[in-house]
Amino acid sequence: MLVPRRKRHGIGRGRSRVLRKAVGGKKGAMLDLFAVKNQIDEMVADECRAQEDFREKLEMAVQAYRGWQADWQTLAEKIARSRTSWLMPGIVEGLDVTPTCLQRPEKISIAATDGSQIFPDRHEISSCFLINIGYILLHYGTGEKPLMSSKPTLYYREEEIFEEWDGRRVFVNRELVGTKRGLMEFSELAALSLAAQEAGHSVLACSDGTLIQWSLEGKPHDFKDYVLGETMRDFDALEKAGLPVCGYISHPGSQDVINALKLGLCPQDTADCDRCPWRPENQLGCSSEEKEVLQAQLWNGRVPCSPLDGISDAVLMRQILKPGQRSPVFRSSSKILESYGRHWIHFFYVHVGQEIGRVEVPEWVAQDESMLELVHACICDQAEKGQGYPVALSEAHERAVVRSADRESFYRFLRDTYVKNDMRAHISTKSFKKRHVGI
Amino acid sequence: MSTIGESSNPLSRFMSDESNAINASSGPERSHVGEVVESSTTELVAEARQLHGAPSFGQFVRVDSEVPIVGIVFNVFTHSIEPNRRPTAYGKTEDELRLEQPQIFELLRTEFQALVIGYLDEMGPVQILPPQPARIHSFVHVCSEDQIRAFTHTDDYMRCILNTVKVPTDELLIAALRQTMRAHGGDRAYLVRMGKELSRLLGDDYDRLSSIVRRAAY
Repeated sequence: MLVPRRKRHGIGRGRSRVLRKAVGGKKGAMLDLFAVKNQIDEMVADECRAQEDFREKLEMAVQAYRGWQADWQTLAEKIARSRTSWLMPGIVEGLDVTPTCLQRPEKISIAATDGSQIFPDRHEISSCFLINIGYILLHYGTGEKPLMSSKPTLYYREEEIFEEWDGRRVFVNRELVGTKRGLMEFSELAALSLAAQEAGHSVLACSDGTLIQWSLEGKPHDFKDYVLGETMRDFDALEKAGLPVCGYISHPGSQDVINALKLGLCPQDTADCDRCPWRPENQLGCSSEEKEVLQAQLWNGRVPCSPLDGISDAVLMRQILKPGQRSPVFRSSSKILESYGRHWIHFFYVHVGQEIGRVEVPEWVAQDESMLELVHACICDQAEKGQGYPVALSEAHERAVVRSADRESFYRFLRDTYVKNDMRAHISTKSFKKRHVGI
Repeated sequence: MSTIGESSNPLSRFMSDESNAINASSGPERSHVGEVVESSTTELVAEARQLHGAPSFGQFVRVDSEVPIVGIVFNVFTHSIEPNRRPTAYGKTEDELRLEQPQIFELLRTEFQALVIGYLDEMGPVQILPPQPARIHSFVHVCSEDQIRAFTHTDDYMRCILNTVKVPTDELLIAALRQTMRAHGGDRAYLVRMGKELSRLLGDDYDRLSSIVRRAAY
């Protein structure tokens, strides 16, 4: 077979001089790949050992889940009275239901947004930043032309690049820009889907990722109030319009359901993790007999709930659900949701064929059977159309994404415009050195 | 500046400027079939206004430029607009795809290439290459029958096609001849004249001549 000339110089016997230098572990190499290789080997060997252990744990998790299906109220009550250090789901639909998705309504429009950004870089000629939002509105069953677009917004004014929270004036950092982008994604999603509804379409709004603003926990109060205020305003508008909204999380790592099963494993009637009697630090006043009894309840020398450590809900649900089925609905217990009021986020897992996804919905969607069925049906349909991942979300990402080449072009364009207008285009010495490294 | 159409559509804020412009220009006065995206003295590439909406192979087109340029379409192609994404087979008909996978038609684009064969000035058709190429973003129209008749009165367009190496010469000549014959209303005298010119242009290559004539008259 003919091998293109370019390929012959790839990694292999005929390594080029440049590549040999890069992996050769010589003094001065940027990343010593040979050194990393040994560590990768060790890591993979460790993971292989862990996998055998994992199968046993998973089997226990499946048994525990099935064991509670008939008597889930007991578990729900135990959750309600216990104090744990992990997030506990509220069991609202039992554990023994696995509804299969219904047929999607023939005519439906799916709205989705996604965002991307160029972070502010104080080493560049300007500290401005850019947020690009991708809009997708796909109409099914009508043959109507879809809306697929993106809109960039440049932020450069003093009040835009400096923010004051909790009395402190700070230069916008990556975290703040990320939060701002998340807010814009959601508010634009609400605006897009409401406009589509106004134009006469029946709409489902799909958000990329979680609807729970986890990252706000521990942030300044006024910042938290601002972000939540904006989010709740959008939720209010969607609820008023009767427009269902959901957030889709691919490959979720959450362990809410596993945490409930861990609580189920706890021999105590009312668990209190802070006073866990199996932890040596809590056994100070115990007699040696008591200690022996406690010792006997340990699992491989660890606390009784530890067998399920390291298992995620998705892995468990992969064993429970068949393609197209969803898990029962659970109520999330994240602390930030106390500010969500009637938009309290509920979630379920769904087997979309390729993977288990997590779908989050506000309470008013979770409690409305027809809306819940619509979300379930549309997510399965979207994932099927997108070969495993909702097509509207992946297209929104394609529209929004700012690749590193775009970033380069953006700064080149900015520099050119400065020069054309006789403005001094100054970059930091550090930035200059990164581009022109001398010897 | 917002137009009447924009304010009546609640979704216009979310549409790209490009599609807003297309919506605004969808009136009957805009009859172009494409827009020039690459241009040189001898040929041009245009993006079709609609997917699969390019003029046919061998059709005469006119470019709105400082001097209107005349060309013949010699290649039409449809491709993905994003270099790292290519179409995959879905096993569905186009109608089914339009209902269930509407996004794919937004990710495809039809383009066509035209061979420049002359231009029009105040005096009429000029059978030589234009002094300047068509400007990028100029609109491309299909030539009317009158324009084709005027332009193909002489055999120069045939010479132009035969002298070009990178196009499927004979096929293009046949397609162009069929166009011109329609424009001339199947006029027998015209046909005979063109046949004679063609035999002169092809020299003693009788096989080639008879193949072209036979297929053009089919």
